Amino acid sequence: MTETPTTLKEYEADLLVEEVDRAADGVVVITLKHPDGLTLPAWTPGAHIDLVLTDELTRQYSLCSSPSDSIRLQVGVLRAEDSRGGSVFIHDELAVGSTVRVRGPRNHFPLVSSPRYLFIAGGIGVTPMLPMIEEAEAVGADWRLVYGGRSRDSMAFLPALEQYGDKVTLLPRDEVEVTLSKQIGTLLGTPQADTLVYACGPEALLSSVEEACASWPEGALHLERFQGKELDASLDTEFEVVLARSGQTLMVPPGKSIFHAVEDLGIPVLGSCHEGVCGTCETVVLEGEVDHRDVVLSESEKASNETMMVCVSRCRGSRLVIDL
Amino acid sequence: MTPSFQGRVASAVIVPTDCWYAVARSADVTHALTAVRAVGRPVVLFRTSSGEAVALEDRCAHRAYPLSAGTLDGDTIRCGLCGFVYDAGGQCVSVPTQTRVPLGAFVDAYPVRESDGLVWAWFGEPGRARLHRLPELPWLVDATWATVSGRRTVQASFLLLHENFADVTQVPFVAPEISPAVLGSAPPPLEVTVSETSVSLRREFPPARMPSWQSRLAAVPADAEFTTVQEGYLLSPAVWVDYWDVRTSDTTWARLRFTQLVTPIDERASHLMWAVSRDFAVTDNAATSELTATFDDYYSRVLVAMETAQSVIDRDGPGREVNVSADIVGLRIREIVDALLAEEGA
Repeated sequence: MTETPTTLKEYEADLLVEEVDRAADGVVVITLKHPDGLTLPAWTPGAHIDLVLTDELTRQYSLCSSPSDSIRLQVGVLRAEDSRGGSVFIHDELAVGSTVRVRGPRNHFPLVSSPRYLFIAGGIGVTPMLPMIEEAEAVGADWRLVYGGRSRDSMAFLPALEQYGDKVTLLPRDEVEVTLSKQIGTLLGTPQADTLVYACGPEALLSSVEEACASWPEGALHLERFQGKELDASLDTEFEVVLARSGQTLMVPPGKSIFHAVEDLGIPVLGSCHEGVCGTCETVVLEGEVDHRDVVLSESEKASNETMMVCVSRCRGSRLVIDL
Repeated sequence: MTPSFQGRVASAVIVPTDCWYAVARSADVTHALTAVRAVGRPVVLFRTSSGEAVALEDRCAHRAYPLSAGTLDGDTIRCGLCGFVYDAGGQCVSVPTQTRVPLGAFVDAYPVRESDGLVWAWFGEPGRARLHRLPELPWLVDATWATVSGRRTVQASFLLLHENFADVTQVPFVAPEISPAVLGSAPPPLEVTVSETSVSLRREFPPARMPSWQSRLAAVPADAEFTTVQEGYLLSPAVWVDYWDVRTSDTTWARLRFTQLVTPIDERASHLMWAVSRDFAVTDNAATSELTATFDDYYSRVLVAMETAQSVIDRDGPGREVNVSADIVGLRIREIVDALLAEEGA
């Protein structure tokens, strides 16, 4: 009996930096296109791409351009000196004419159809909101953006947002008394009917949004996080994983991920960030209880035990059956 | 003329609506009324005097009667039962029994675009249409290609059809005599590439003879051996395209493009417009009629198999299905469609 050797990967291409726009203090907007002008994969608002910067440095950035543009992708990148080096590399190394490897797009922050939206953006978290606003506007949904930042100079896309008038509330901290973080309670205190909340920004903002939305209906709140949790491998245990589709069983020892154990067997599995952030390796769980360690799934999704991120999440018991 | 849209004909069918679907060949949309059913809706098509293709809800706002059974008068349709007259934007402009047009007298107008010889219609929220691209199928209209095509209605879901197109291992079982010899041998490595909304596959078959019809038309010796590269693309829930390129190390000898345009009628029935394009024997009319017959027969057999599968599902429910690793593409198609439906709030 012969086996069909199968490889599974995401769309990947070396794209050309067509434009670098200093969109705000510390923020660049990078425009990417295929060197041959080829059509790029379609995506929907909320999607992000990987920029593969070096062998060790792959980072995720939300797309801020229009999904209707089939040949260009745009990302907005804040220079974060104290971060893990991705944004500094982009600011210092990428220039018009350079090439960068792009993977994706993928979307774990999709804009679900709704008559009303509340968009909450902190700083560079505004990037995924731009295509979302374009779509909300196109379908005539009732929407509002509350956008906080250090100062106007540091807040990107203000000219593009001007056209929307009072649908956009700008809250630069150096101008307003009541900053975005102080307004979260007021903004979200009372659940509003038929309204979906989309929030992206620093962890402190997202935590307070999450807390304030506790009384909102299930599924009303959508968050995008780009920073993984600190992973602690000291509590890892060994467990058995059964791969239903390929009919194989393996042991996953402490310190090794399910992803890498599966990959070692030559079984096709998608993955990218290996930090539980990007959502690429989401896998259906058929049996067993998952020890979720990612930041992609919501609390209710984690509780449902239906899927898991095999790059970081593990097993609470001794055996998992997953659909690979 | 603002297209009106209230979703008044509530579509109960669960298929993705945020997608451009091919509803007709451009050549078949003339200054005459044509009825088609798509995405759970009755649709009437016609071309205006200025050449614009129009797609309207095919049901008079007054009483249940198809506008396609009425008459086209200039660029307006007169209902054949009550005489309400609608313009190309779906707005009722006159009624026979009073001078004022009643409020709410309109039918839905669906955004329409034409490209690559096809009329595409949008059945989702009209405002979202411009954010979505049309698939690019240039070989359908390029003079360096010759195309044979056909159209069928099939009692099977659009997903069954896509999963079938994504799984060419079925060809030798469904249609052994047109199957390339390469398909019967040991399966070559399968490369699958995904993105948020698309999936593609690529396989390179080791050197083998072309099927006899193809070597004859491509005018190559029957015993010559060629590498075949197959690439399949889900361009959207409306289109699956296959590339079959027959190559030697330095030359591409013959290229085939299989275009499968799938438009759901509802969850259990679909329209299929298929086209097989070739870049060899392009001016050979005998080849064209021969290939039309061959592929019409092929697709009819595939569709009979799909109808059989659908009837099993209809009778006994979805049931348990065992997947193998090679099913990655089909499984990914389901994931993409599920994600689209979730975004649409279906």
